[in-house]
Amino acid sequence: MKLVFFGASFFGRRSVLLGQALFFVALSSGCAYNPPAAWERGDLAKVKMKFDADRLDAMAAQHTYFSKEAASGGTGVGGGGCGCN
Amino acid sequence: MRDTLEHIETPALERIELDSQATVFRFRAMASPCEVCVEGLSSLAAEVAAQKAANEVARIEAKYSRYRSDSIVSRINAAAGGDWIAIDDETRSLLEFAQSLARESEGLFDITSGVLRRVWDFRAGKLPEESSLSETLALIGTERILLDGSNVRLADALMEIDLGGFGKEYAADRAAAVLAAEGVRHGFVNLGGDLRALGPKQSGEPWSIGIAHPREPENTIASISLRTGALATSGDYERFFEHDGQRYCHILNPKTGRPVTHWQSISVLAPVCAAAGALATIAMLREAHALEFLDAQGCGYLAIRFDGERFAR
Amino acid sequence: MSSKIDFAGSALARCAPSDATAVAGPTPSQTSARFGSITLAALALPGLVAPIGAQVAPLEEGVIAAKFGVYEDRQPGLTRVRAISPSLYIASPIASSWSFEGSLTHDNVSGASPRWHSSISSASRMADHRTAATAKLTKSFERVAVALGGAYSDEQDYRSRAGSLELRIASADNNRTWSIAFAHTDDNIFPTNRAARGATRRTNELGLSVTQNWTKHDVVQLAISRAEGRGYYNDPYKIVDIRPRERDQTTATLRWNHFIASSGDALRTSYRFYSDSFGIRAHTLDAAYAKALNDRWIVTPTLRYHTQSAANFYYDPVYDPVVGEPFPVVLGRFASPDHRLSAFGAVTVGVRADWKLDSRWTLDAKLERYEQRSSWRLGGGGSPGLAPLTALIAQIGFTRTF
Repeated sequence: MKLVFFGASFFGRRSVLLGQALFFVALSSGCAYNPPAAWERGDLAKVKMKFDADRLDAMAAQHTYFSKEAASGGTGVGGGGCGCN
Repeated sequence: MRDTLEHIETPALERIELDSQATVFRFRAMASPCEVCVEGLSSLAAEVAAQKAANEVARIEAKYSRYRSDSIVSRINAAAGGDWIAIDDETRSLLEFAQSLARESEGLFDITSGVLRRVWDFRAGKLPEESSLSETLALIGTERILLDGSNVRLADALMEIDLGGFGKEYAADRAAAVLAAEGVRHGFVNLGGDLRALGPKQSGEPWSIGIAHPREPENTIASISLRTGALATSGDYERFFEHDGQRYCHILNPKTGRPVTHWQSISVLAPVCAAAGALATIAMLREAHALEFLDAQGCGYLAIRFDGERFAR
Repeated sequence: MSSKIDFAGSALARCAPSDATAVAGPTPSQTSARFGSITLAALALPGLVAPIGAQVAPLEEGVIAAKFGVYEDRQPGLTRVRAISPSLYIASPIASSWSFEGSLTHDNVSGASPRWHSSISSASRMADHRTAATAKLTKSFERVAVALGGAYSDEQDYRSRAGSLELRIASADNNRTWSIAFAHTDDNIFPTNRAARGATRRTNELGLSVTQNWTKHDVVQLAISRAEGRGYYNDPYKIVDIRPRERDQTTATLRWNHFIASSGDALRTSYRFYSDSFGIRAHTLDAAYAKALNDRWIVTPTLRYHTQSAANFYYDPVYDPVVGEPFPVVLGRFASPDHRLSAFGAVTVGVRADWKLDSRWTLDAKLERYEQRSSWRLGGGGSPGLAPLTALIAQIGFTRTF
């Protein structure tokens, strides 16, 4: 019988801990919720601040990890990705 | 606050059919020749759209011209140092834009710098007295426009504001928005050289826009392609006088009170005209440091230096 | 303060089809996709048709990109698989509110078939080609964008076809974007050994995400997706490989990009939680630090950690010196020795460089090393009997805007 490491619930105890860790990192770096005005979005518009700015690279990575690991997806819903399944 | 329509004259359009697709409508507004070019609409629809766009330009002129005593700008100036004046959302947005420009340009773009016209007489072509220049400089400062919610007040009775620095560009953007709402997808608005394109020609080709030669008024120095977005030019040739062989132009640095000298003209491409115009003016005011600023702002430009050397991106 | 543009040689004349001769001279480039603070301030003015939204705005300019990737993975003493992948990407506005995005990838794979555990010495050779294409058409409205996508992937023994529909909605302040997407995938498997003939699999996937500009230097995204697949999941090339005919997968991904104003660098981090009905739970952490060396160079070191538990029916392949091939010790209703379904941890270390040649051209290069070990699983308890697997990924490419 295999050990069910992360528990049966959707978010196991460990992932809750990880989530909390991320959340506190966010808080401690002074990221209180303060959405920018239109003219303050210049830095956010930079390429290096985009999610998946390089689509080809994102697709190649998705394909590579799909061939190596069980988990897949998370950055966009099917079809848009590498066509791997 | 509502715009009182009876004070606004509807601009008369002169219609020029260029071919079966393109129609140009010319009119005069903001002391400039203006044009609206429309492709892909029926003759009637094009005219209705162009008239609405021209009316929008006239509305903005009536509301913000400092030459009209009933404009909100004139009323704010008249109340300088005194009562708070109630303003609407549009006016507040424009004043906030002016504050952003002052901040981003480190004080070079200043809508209160119009007071310098009191000491610089471009018609007579005379240099101002040092003493009167320094007195006038003390009146300048966007931070002395007090904005409190929907009320505004100028701190000093001698202060004045002038939205001429981006008013025409803003009108070009608004007119373009009117055209877009009327279904125009191919066309542009040109208000005395401040240009906003809604989209390329129907064929998909870009508009080809000529840039005036700063020293030969009848010629163009370059032509650029524009699909969407805006083009605005700031130059030392619009209003100037020469004294002892030195050119004194109307673009005055609000910190020194003196005209800029480094560039003959700077044309800027930006997504919207209000930005292109402000960027061109700030670049002129930054003199030798103009290009690094334009690069950092991520816009395209064509700049012509005092010696005629061209710089483009 | 702007001046007149000479009308004689200007827009009016050029509005006519009889295009006057263009005046020679340096010409500025088109509007950049990157907006400066002045442009952004102007976009806050009321009543403007702004050519920018949160993530629903139509494309301003076209992009064409190409990449060439080389991939090689190995287990101790054996180079397993080598793949060469050229790929092409294009995104372009096609009318004022329409845009198109498409990609084409070709993989040329050669090498040994996967080895199950540490002590097998023979490996059958394989060679395969994969061609994959994606296409997406987006229509943008004022605050809404609708995208219709398709994907196609074809190998010798496998074909996958997918269609997707996505709706994106931006908030009034353009700081938040909601996205809801649905995709359907049809897979067909034609194994060369005829272990399964005309096997199929259908998957429906629903994704929800919200992207929020948290501060002027932080953007966060939460994405949740659920995929339900029915059909053939077995590996036809393994002697004993019987998996359930249904697989339900749930992922939750939190991404956070932070801009460091003092240096102009960006830190991109993400965490993904994954869970499926095979009994696999996985956690993936990703971090990239984009360091701007100067105006032209960006160097980005990357680090990724992945850990997963094994599928309920995964068995560790045990090599039998007599029988030879690994054979399952326990046979329940389902069983698979696929290393992808085992418990392990994996680390990717990489570096990427972006070199901006001018306002239009950018070159990029990437080097990554991936390593998978059962002992690297978070908290231990990785599947025994698996040889560590390492992979090297090298990639060069260019991007040009037009």
